[in-house]
Amino acid sequence: MRNLLYNLQGKTAKPRDENVPSDDDEDEDEDGDLMDNGGNKLEDSHDEIEEDDDGRHVRMLEGITGMPSEAFEGKKKKNNVVISEAYPESEYNPTRDVLDGDGRISMEDLLGTLQKKPGFGKLRKIMDQMKKSEAIEAPLPTVIREKMERQAAYKISKKDMAKWEPQVKRNREAPTIYFDEDTDLGFSTVGAIASEFEPRTEFEKKMASLVYDDDVMEAHKKDGSRLLELNQVSVEDEKERHNRIAKMRSLLFRHEMKAKHIKKIKSKTYHRLLKKDRLKTAAALTEMDPEAAKEQAMKQEFKRAEERMTLKHKNTSKWATRILQRGLQVQDEEEEDEVPDSGILSLPFMERGLKKRKEAAEEEAKLALQEYEVSMKQLDDPSGAENSKIKASSGRRVFGAAKICAPESRDVIKTDNFYANSDSDDDMEAKENIFDVGKDGSSDMQKDVHVDSVLPNEFHQDSVFKSFDDIVRDPGPKTTYDVAIFASDKWRKMESRNKVDANSKKSPVAVEPEYNQDLQEPVKEVGENSDTESEGQMVDGIISLDPKPTYELPSQTELIRQAFAGDDVEEDFENDKQEILNEENPEPEKPVLLPGWGQWTRVQKKKGLPSWMLKEHENAKRKREEALKKRKDAHLKHVIISEKLDKKAEKLLTKTLPYPFTSKEVFEQSIRMPIGPEFNPATAVGALNRPAVVKKPGVIIKPIEFKEVNPHENKEDHKWSGQKQKMKKSKSDGSIPRKKMKKAEGKSKKVN
Amino acid sequence: MKVKAISRSTDEFTRERSNDLQRVFRNYDPNLRPQEKAVEYVRALNAAKLEKIFGRPFVGAMEHNEAISCMAKNPNHLKGIFAGSEDGDIRLWDITSRRTVRKFPGHRGAVRGLTASTDGSRLVSCGADCIIRRWTVPVEDSSDDSVKPEDFHISKNAYWGVDHQWKGDQFATVGAQVDIWNHTSNAPVRSFQWGTDTVISVRFNPGHPDLLATSASDRSITLYDVKTTIPIKKLIMQTKTNSIAWNPMEPMNFTAANEDGNCYSYDLRKLNEATMVHTDHAAAVMDIDYSPTGREFVTGSYDRTVRIFRYNGGHSREIYHTSRMQRVFCIKFSCDASYVISGSDDYNLRLWKAMASEQLGVLLPREKKRHEYDEALKNRYKHLPEVKRILRHRHLPLPIYKAAALRRTMTEAARKKEERRKAHSAPGSISTKPLRKRRIVKEVE
Repeated sequence: MRNLLYNLQGKTAKPRDENVPSDDDEDEDEDGDLMDNGGNKLEDSHDEIEEDDDGRHVRMLEGITGMPSEAFEGKKKKNNVVISEAYPESEYNPTRDVLDGDGRISMEDLLGTLQKKPGFGKLRKIMDQMKKSEAIEAPLPTVIREKMERQAAYKISKKDMAKWEPQVKRNREAPTIYFDEDTDLGFSTVGAIASEFEPRTEFEKKMASLVYDDDVMEAHKKDGSRLLELNQVSVEDEKERHNRIAKMRSLLFRHEMKAKHIKKIKSKTYHRLLKKDRLKTAAALTEMDPEAAKEQAMKQEFKRAEERMTLKHKNTSKWATRILQRGLQVQDEEEEDEVPDSGILSLPFMERGLKKRKEAAEEEAKLALQEYEVSMKQLDDPSGAENSKIKASSGRRVFGAAKICAPESRDVIKTDNFYANSDSDDDMEAKENIFDVGKDGSSDMQKDVHVDSVLPNEFHQDSVFKSFDDIVRDPGPKTTYDVAIFASDKWRKMESRNKVDANSKKSPVAVEPEYNQDLQEPVKEVGENSDTESEGQMVDGIISLDPKPTYELPSQTELIRQAFAGDDVEEDFENDKQEILNEENPEPEKPVLLPGWGQWTRVQKKKGLPSWMLKEHENAKRKREEALKKRKDAHLKHVIISEKLDKKAEKLLTKTLPYPFTSKEVFEQSIRMPIGPEFNPATAVGALNRPAVVKKPGVIIKPIEFKEVNPHENKEDHKWSGQKQKMKKSKSDGSIPRKKMKKAEGKSKKVN
Repeated sequence: MKVKAISRSTDEFTRERSNDLQRVFRNYDPNLRPQEKAVEYVRALNAAKLEKIFGRPFVGAMEHNEAISCMAKNPNHLKGIFAGSEDGDIRLWDITSRRTVRKFPGHRGAVRGLTASTDGSRLVSCGADCIIRRWTVPVEDSSDDSVKPEDFHISKNAYWGVDHQWKGDQFATVGAQVDIWNHTSNAPVRSFQWGTDTVISVRFNPGHPDLLATSASDRSITLYDVKTTIPIKKLIMQTKTNSIAWNPMEPMNFTAANEDGNCYSYDLRKLNEATMVHTDHAAAVMDIDYSPTGREFVTGSYDRTVRIFRYNGGHSREIYHTSRMQRVFCIKFSCDASYVISGSDDYNLRLWKAMASEQLGVLLPREKKRHEYDEALKNRYKHLPEVKRILRHRHLPLPIYKAAALRRTMTEAARKKEERRKAHSAPGSISTKPLRKRRIVKEVE
């Protein structure tokens, strides 16, 4: 039945099929229709050719006869249908009606034969329905259909994704995302955890069966008196247990006492005997059980070997190695004159120093002894003094000794002077000799001190007097001086007129190039201010100071010339600038002819410097000139802008503007305020330092779950608004990103 | 006359209990501390140095008898991780004690895919022996050591991967085709086939559980919806995608680990260009996994390194390597986002810290604050040259360093060549495709 229907459907659909480009149709019309289709196509093409031919024929006739084409139409049709009836009418040879097109086989014709067969009514009903409905479109080829389905599905899933957008956006924009909020750590008390416990292993199950015994549980549920019953122990049992424990305790006590007693015994014989006893028992044991004894011996041996292995018995300590090396006797000898092996005192020059000092001390001691002897002899016999005199005046040694004696006392000197004044006998010559130097020195010093104390006073007084005198006598120069000062103040005014700066020479001002412009302005302002003060006023002031009305004031330029008569400031400045330029862009070294270097000497003699050297030099020169031209102060005659880099400051500056920031100002703002606990109140520190992701270790983070998010709500629950927000706000400022955060550090010198 | 006196309530400056800290009053006037910026800069520098000193990410290794081919984390149990190796061995590891808790014997060939259900009670494995096995994960302390599979399914073709739906009972296996299975049924609920090439990896979208993405050996990435009977979309790239990971916090985004050593992040809705290209690996990226926070992901590569990328960063934030670690085949981020587990060719599972210098264990509030402060400082001054140098420096094994340098040279040379070609041809005749589009061949509907 179904097959039949399908066929019908196929047939009804046929006319449409022909309109569709026939490349994809194969799959649809499976049973037999394929053939049909192909056949139709052939027929079609044949028809077309025929029609074409007929058209041409008609046109030809038209041309010949001059009659309208309709006249020939009927003829053509007739001609077309003429068929000789060679065969009887049959399925393969349809009647003329069929060929004409009006006698087609209809559904009714076919159904007519089926009448009176079972199920005919049903079939007719379906046929009626089909007649009413339009022809059904053929399904699209699978490939295209699937493609379209996929497109639709993709569209849907795209749409699905859109619902996540607000949530994701909020998460992304949040300065901090929290994953530790809804953590359920389970039960908080031990009891709660225990109540949830379920026995899993066998041991646990056994325990549980005992604990959760029905009797016990029941007793628990009731008042608990039954529990006591379950716990009941007989009196005899308890007594026995008590006795047992007491016995054990007394035994232990006795054993302890005995051990203590034995330990206290000091008798050697006793211990010897004890040892013998022990050995005996051990021997007996070995006899009894040789295997165990062997094992014991092995153990002992192993222990001993292990002990021997330890460093204790290797004589590795510092002391032991040393003694082993040098023998025991050496130790005592060395202790006497010890020179430390290490440390500062072991250094060679220290050693030498020590030696020298030692020698000096010895000598000193010798001298002291001698002196002592001399004095003793003097006391005994004055003639002995000569000896001492000879000895004393015979060289450096005496002098040294005298020097040491010098600080003995001042009385000696006095007595000495006294003796000298009184021209006493030669006896004391020796002593005089000795103390000569000391005396002279001290007297010189006294003189110096005197001179020192006098001189400044005099000078001071002199100058003061002089100045007073000057003022009184001749006030003229004074006033000029004052004017000069004022005039030198005026140099600022001259700035615009490109005149010489006096101050700059004395104190070149270093300014970084970044602030250069800022700095220029205030300077100018100052200049203008001083401009506004009228010269006349100042001059008036000076005139009023002047007591002499006849004094003629020199002109401004003359004053300046007078003031800076001696120094050529302009040239100095130029020199300074040149120096700095040379320092920053040093001049290339002149090529030097090294005999035999780079070329044979005779060639060198003939040709001079090799060409490449000269070229290199030229290049370097040119480079330098270019660099100088490129400098910012190249065209500023009176300014020096240093282009030297400050390496220390460079560490604190970025080379380029960091990525998320759009302008220098924003970046600087982002690191301006400190975030530490020392600089911020405790309430703010937490928010300032909060990381981007807050999570707890050990807490499982689940994937995102859908939540309705109001995109317009204020998403900031936390007080702190992060850097991100700030950045975004400032993005809208539209400031141009500056690639170079930092330009060359510099110094600037300003003239005029 | 009113006399003004300084009055303070005692509550302000006394403590309630003897354990409380004494309250210290500070004057926050910035004029009193003129050096604050300099101080913080030095602190940032020190923090950066400390990070380097404490940067010891390797925690421990767990050994199999063959190369590790796949892993699965237990979504419900933090310390459990399943690992399958080339010899067909599947083990459940306890990563706190680094011991094998359980063995799942049965596979004859290499285990290619492993996945656990969301509640962690079921495990599905598949492998080169054409068998899918389903296991019930036993409770922790039961006595027997090995487990028998609940049931299995034999097919004609080898399986290449399996992944379980989040919070559902469906899982997908891939190989010759994509099959969707149910825990209850014994045959695939649904099968997809688009093209004839082998599908090599599969991943369900955790945020949007009906969606899944696969990658195939015909260099394609395909999206499916388990509710429909047909695939949704296909994207063909110039090189094969070895693995895919969805961002768990952003269901529309996924990242593909590509054979060319880059990772490509895509927005599902706009597949004609990648949202971000993550470059750094010197060889093919074998596996990728997102951190549950969605802010970073970890990749394991054939160049014997593990790298951690930010989800929006073009270059990696961290690189992990050891001298003994060979090609990394699989990698996972732990469920609490603080550990990374890698499985490699040298039979070992390795446990790493996700933040190399993070202090483990319970922290005092004071310590925690200090760490936060240090992090904030580092983040603030990371652009300054000294701090940047220290923070960015990583010591690399020579072969990896050289390979990376070579790669850089090559890309640079290619770029230069193109630039020159452009300069020497008629203006507008050559247009440069951005890297985000360059590797995409076409989008198939």
